Amino acid sequence: MPRSYDFPGGIHPPERKQRSNRSPLSEAPLPPRVTLPLQQHSGQAAAPCVSAGEAVKVGSLIAKREGMISSHLHASISGTVSEVSATQITIEGDGQDTWQRLPSLDWRVADTAVLVERLNESGIVGLGGAGFPTHIKARVVEQHAIHTLVINAAECEPYITADDLTLRLYANEVLQGAQIIAKLCGAQQIVIGIEDNKPDAITALQHALPDSQPVPVELSVISTRYPSGGERQLIKKLLDLNVPSGGLPADVGVLCHNPGTLLAILQAVRDGQPLVSRIVTLTGESINQPGNRWVRLGTSIRELLEQVGLNIAELHQVIQGGPMMGTPLPTLDTPVTKLTNCLIAATREEFPPAPAESPCIRCGECESVCPVALLPQQLHWYARAEDDAKIERYHLFDCIECGACSYVCPSHIPLVVDYREAKSRIRLQRIEATKAEHAKHRFEHRQARLAREEAEKQARRQARQAQQRRPSNTASPSSEQVDLRGLRIAHAAAKASVKKAEKTLARIAQEDPKQPLDDLEMQLATAQENLKAAELQLAQAREQHSSEKSP
Amino acid sequence: MSMMHASDVNDTATTAVPPTASLMRWVIVATLPGIATMSYFFGLGVISNVLLAAAFGVALESAVLRLRMRPIGVALNDSSALLTGVLLGASLPPASPWWLIGVGMFAAIVVAKQLYGGLGHNPFNPAMVGYALLLVSFPAYMTLWAPPQELLHNGLWAQIAGTLPTAQLDSWSGATPLDAFKHKGDTLLASEFWATNPLPDGTLSAWRWVALAWLAGGVLLLAKRIISWHIPVAMLGSALLLATLFYLSDPSHFASPLFHLLTGATLFGAFFIATDPVSAATSRRGKLIYGAGIGALVIIIRTFGGYPDAVAFAVLLMNLCVPLLDIYSVPRPTGQPKAASGKPGERP
Ligand code: SF4
Ligand code: SF4
Repeated sequence: MPRSYDFPGGIHPPERKQRSNRSPLSEAPLPPRVTLPLQQHSGQAAAPCVSAGEAVKVGSLIAKREGMISSHLHASISGTVSEVSATQITIEGDGQDTWQRLPSLDWRVADTAVLVERLNESGIVGLGGAGFPTHIKARVVEQHAIHTLVINAAECEPYITADDLTLRLYANEVLQGAQIIAKLCGAQQIVIGIEDNKPDAITALQHALPDSQPVPVELSVISTRYPSGGERQLIKKLLDLNVPSGGLPADVGVLCHNPGTLLAILQAVRDGQPLVSRIVTLTGESINQPGNRWVRLGTSIRELLEQVGLNIAELHQVIQGGPMMGTPLPTLDTPVTKLTNCLIAATREEFPPAPAESPCIRCGECESVCPVALLPQQLHWYARAEDDAKIERYHLFDCIECGACSYVCPSHIPLVVDYREAKSRIRLQRIEATKAEHAKHRFEHRQARLAREEAEKQARRQARQAQQRRPSNTASPSSEQVDLRGLRIAHAAAKASVKKAEKTLARIAQEDPKQPLDDLEMQLATAQENLKAAELQLAQAREQHSSEKSP
Repeated sequence: MSMMHASDVNDTATTAVPPTASLMRWVIVATLPGIATMSYFFGLGVISNVLLAAAFGVALESAVLRLRMRPIGVALNDSSALLTGVLLGASLPPASPWWLIGVGMFAAIVVAKQLYGGLGHNPFNPAMVGYALLLVSFPAYMTLWAPPQELLHNGLWAQIAGTLPTAQLDSWSGATPLDAFKHKGDTLLASEFWATNPLPDGTLSAWRWVALAWLAGGVLLLAKRIISWHIPVAMLGSALLLATLFYLSDPSHFASPLFHLLTGATLFGAFFIATDPVSAATSRRGKLIYGAGIGALVIIIRTFGGYPDAVAFAVLLMNLCVPLLDIYSVPRPTGQPKAASGKPGERP
């Protein structure tokens, strides 16, 4: 029997999932043109590696990851690159749909390093909405012992049915994807958390369970309540573990992935198929053929919605994501990205504008629904008063922005908006405060780069000298005592500091996906430069040492 | 961003809390059984009280908002001033003079509410501030509970207008059961006291019916999720517990728990006064302590204090404790280390 524990609070908004979960999953028509933003993941934007006019196939690498928290980007249709701008790449399709795949891998025998590299090459990021690069998540486990992999199939937001459909059709594949991740992180069990409002997906999983090897899989059906799909809430509910404030699931030995990501992982490994398409829920009262579609990344949202019968006269707004945490799109002329899990084309009646805000009457409703047990009302008060010390003491940064508090507030106070504003204000202040620090890090980076270049020059010179010296090695620069041991220690230290910088960066990026990472990326780059220089020096010294020893 | 809002999705009835304005209106609706029953037993003066007080409430709120240069329409729309009027009106002796009601409402709306910043900012329950002020300043008028049905319609207008000679007022004055019991004297045993038939016929049962009518309104509020159960249950529980302890220790001198429950403003206070969200504690734990505090104070003041009924003072005293309760009943956020919750120095 699956165990069930509980997180506090929670709400039951109307589900409205029937609109999109009744029709079968289908493939959206091949778009004539795609626009691929370079920033489709958390962290730094990818750097283009193609130029206008170049021919590409589906799966061709068009932008490389830049820095550590970043992800590769691939062409999602075949054709010609028509434009490369600072923010996006446009491809005009040739209608041929010719693919370029990576060689297939058998995950059961493949080396973990090879598998992680495959995730990196395939540009896979978390498809649940945050877009955290999957290969980094696979590597964060280097520092943590992971005992459980949780498949987050709760899908608690109203309207969205992408995971539901994924599981109904690809239960086997999702479980195989989970086995791959379990292998990478050494998890001893896999637990699927799914809300009881998805009976078909549950049945599909039950059929697929017996074939899932070698790590045992447990299916845990939980009652429907928003936001049980929050990582922390789900981990509490399934495993009765509390992820510490400011920590990660990995801190309690757990890793979470959503079904869509696991499917993409399997496709990348088994089929050598990079992330070029995803399942998107198309729903809302303004379209008349709602459902889920496989959509190529970069497809125009306007064209996509028109294909499913968009009634533009009735349309009030299109929301990307769910109604609780999603955001209204300012324009429809924007592409589907790796982060687009759901598009709700809503009428005005569907989401009527909130009535005018009235003063807080301290009713405590917000508090009773907060899944983190915060005091939303006090947070609101201090956020408006910009009392940052109080805000932090009331743990604003533990807020997961689920919107349950705003949902129930009888005074229609947009509480989450207040929190988001306060959070970004405080983040900005922190950046301001660390500006001097940042400048220092930039300077250090420059120094490190110069040192590395110097080391390279030195190495080249030495190589040249060695060549000239070879006939008569009497002119060795033995006046310079080679301190091999010291260099080895320096090298090890440089290596350790790269590891440390990577670890910090990965942690910060996962903890708070909205945190600006430039400074940390810079520190990592500095450490990497230092490492390179140390490596060169060491190699150089070894060379010298051996040439001295064996004249 | 939350596109959805509990009060505007009509296909859910489970978690929806009505918006603030209709919340206030629901409370007003829930007072109707109580007011109707009171006026049945105590005459139309109850209704004139309520109407006068409500009118004063709206007028004073508009006037102050105008002075504060705040939008009047939006604020009046929340019906909170109306509600304060209804609650204070229902607490006053039937057919109180207009100026008495005016003074009470001034204290409630202008002093207790608007001077503190308007809806949501008042630390004290406005209706109870008005009531307490009147009780302290005009005790004679505040104990003038006419015996059931005795106040005839011809006298009504004169009393509302405040033109009745005091002598006549005195002759009409009837004690409330709590008042009578309080002043029975120490030497008299409870049984002897009741044997003297201290109250006009029907008084006791009238108060019981009124109490039950308030209870009915309270149940409506609970059913509609306008109020949570925490405060009323804690308040009634602690009052009953304490009253029972006293009664068991000396039944001949202490009133029975049922007497405490069914006379006076106990049930009215539990469902309509103590539950005012603005001046009550907010966390669930805080609400339990808050309610229990009021219940205990009611019994203690009634038994040992100088006033026969004590809901107003009990509520105001506990209002005083709310900031403290709010600080000390902060729940520990999920994932925060345990240590932070025990030490006052680390409290948020
Ligand atoms: S948005 Fe934040 S404060 Fe509001 S209920 Fe969710 S976690 Fe709690
Ligand atoms: S739900 Fe709204 S009105 Fe009630 S306490 Fe919270 S913020 Fe205030």
